[in-house]
Amino acid sequence: MIYAEHLRKEFKKTIKEPGLKGSFKALFRPKKEIVVAAEDISFHVPKGEILGFIGPNGAGKSTVIKMLTGILTPTSGECRINGHIPQNDRKKYVREIGVVFGQRTQLWWDLPLQETYLVLKEIYEVEEESFKKRMAFLNEVLELDSFIKSPVRTLSLGQRMRADIAASMLHSPKVLFLDEPTIGLDVVVKDKIRQAIMKINKEEQTTVILTTHDISDIELLCDRIVMIDKGKNVYDGSLQKLRENYGQIRELHFETDPESPLTEEQFRQGLPLKESELTIEQDKQTFKVRFNSAAIPVGDMLSHTLSVTRVKDITVRDADVEEIIRRLYQEGGQADE
Amino acid sequence: MRRAWKIYRLLASQNLKRLMEYKADFLTGAISFLIDQAIGIAFIFIIFSQIPQLSGFTLEQIVFIYGFSQIPKGLDHLLADNLWCVGYFIVRKGDFDKYLTRPINPLFHVIAETFQIDAVGELVVGISLIAYAAPQAGLQLSVVSVLLFILVIPFASLIYTSLKIMTAALAFWIKSSGFIIQMVYGMNEFAKYPTTIYSMPVRIFVTYIIPFAFTGYYPALFLLTGENPWFNIGGVVLISAVLFILSLLIWNKGLKAYESAGA
Repeated sequence: MIYAEHLRKEFKKTIKEPGLKGSFKALFRPKKEIVVAAEDISFHVPKGEILGFIGPNGAGKSTVIKMLTGILTPTSGECRINGHIPQNDRKKYVREIGVVFGQRTQLWWDLPLQETYLVLKEIYEVEEESFKKRMAFLNEVLELDSFIKSPVRTLSLGQRMRADIAASMLHSPKVLFLDEPTIGLDVVVKDKIRQAIMKINKEEQTTVILTTHDISDIELLCDRIVMIDKGKNVYDGSLQKLRENYGQIRELHFETDPESPLTEEQFRQGLPLKESELTIEQDKQTFKVRFNSAAIPVGDMLSHTLSVTRVKDITVRDADVEEIIRRLYQEGGQADE
Repeated sequence: MRRAWKIYRLLASQNLKRLMEYKADFLTGAISFLIDQAIGIAFIFIIFSQIPQLSGFTLEQIVFIYGFSQIPKGLDHLLADNLWCVGYFIVRKGDFDKYLTRPINPLFHVIAETFQIDAVGELVVGISLIAYAAPQAGLQLSVVSVLLFILVIPFASLIYTSLKIMTAALAFWIKSSGFIIQMVYGMNEFAKYPTTIYSMPVRIFVTYIIPFAFTGYYPALFLLTGENPWFNIGGVVLISAVLFILSLLIWNKGLKAYESAGA
């Protein structure tokens, strides 16, 4: 369905010294530098899957999405979606996709919202009958009715985003590209948008590629995640597998009694763990210990702690997905498999 | 073709609706526009009444050339004004993304999106000046010459549009090309007068390099003298076709170089 093979995108950038003087200098003697936004990205997505495409800011997510949607031409590498190469086959290709860039809008800013849908209906040549059905469906899930007659410029961010999502789904696309569709939204609106994505995916087997920084988006929606960092693939697999690999990590928090002081060294002693399987952060009496529960059972860890010191308070937590992803971000390329 | 026309009407009407959404602004614009045009016409007559003869042309003939030159210019202004925005900010701000994700030709989409009614001014001025000057300009009228004269107008407009497409497309590489469009477009001032008043280098420049002379002087000269139809009329058709093809090549190459902007 979607194949991305060794996608690479370079941008040329003029390096300027700060200030007006620097700008003048750059005007006459520009210093060019090549910035690699995406170095080597490959993945493929089968039909009907919801893929979470994640990575830290500046990892190259938007660049990849823009290559997949035909906005940018890759410097090298190839993408093929539904048998189309986006840049060569543009007009036919974009008919089959829907695109939302959370930070931009494709709605007609000065006109009532419904005008946008009427124009898009013609642009995508949606039949009257299916247009009506579609609008009813979108109204139901995204609750557009209350603001469909308001000019777009008066909509709140949440309303605008719902309207933009609806606009991208109007022509029943086979693939939806959603670049941060939940950015800056409250829980209720997020939930509506997730409902819409889930429904359209289930009912029409729409393939969805979604970038987000919201872990709940991933947990609730995504069958699989592809994580990139610094323009390269870092992880590709199910969320579950990610949890299995990294989810053995537990966090132990405790506070020692001031009369029973403890050092990191003392705590570490007698634990059958390698350096990498144990991290300790100490702030006076408070300890935050991260350990691999595959290497030492939680019970053993607890009794070890209680044996070396007297604690005032103690808790054990699962490392959540957010934590796992943070670790992956930090480790960067090393976590490949 | 029918679909293109339908989409065109739809997008253009969105633009008019948008203008009317802000009523006070729209009305002020319309009134100031009428005043502007009235002053413009008065000004032209004051100037021309001081110059009874120019390079062997009578006042009426010069007014005729001037008037004619406004019509292709006005048509381009009416229909293809959004190209300016491509050069000034659409590309620079990354807003061109939108045009690339819709199943319409992006160039057509950009052009269809604005319908610049200000341009009606140029058309009104042009037609009024022609109407005033025609009876006394000694035109060589025949069915064929009038027909050719009317047919050549869209081609002359296409010269304007092609030059704008080319210069606007430079923004795909250099991000902002508004001033380049302005510089090239500004040369159209030369089209309003007989090229014979200019020195040889300027004459060659506006005939062959940035051929605005073909949008005004040459086609008008044909109706004044009835001479050289191949050059005066045929030249417009040939040059507009060449420029248009060239501009499409540059534009399409530009699309591949487009870099968008950070989210």
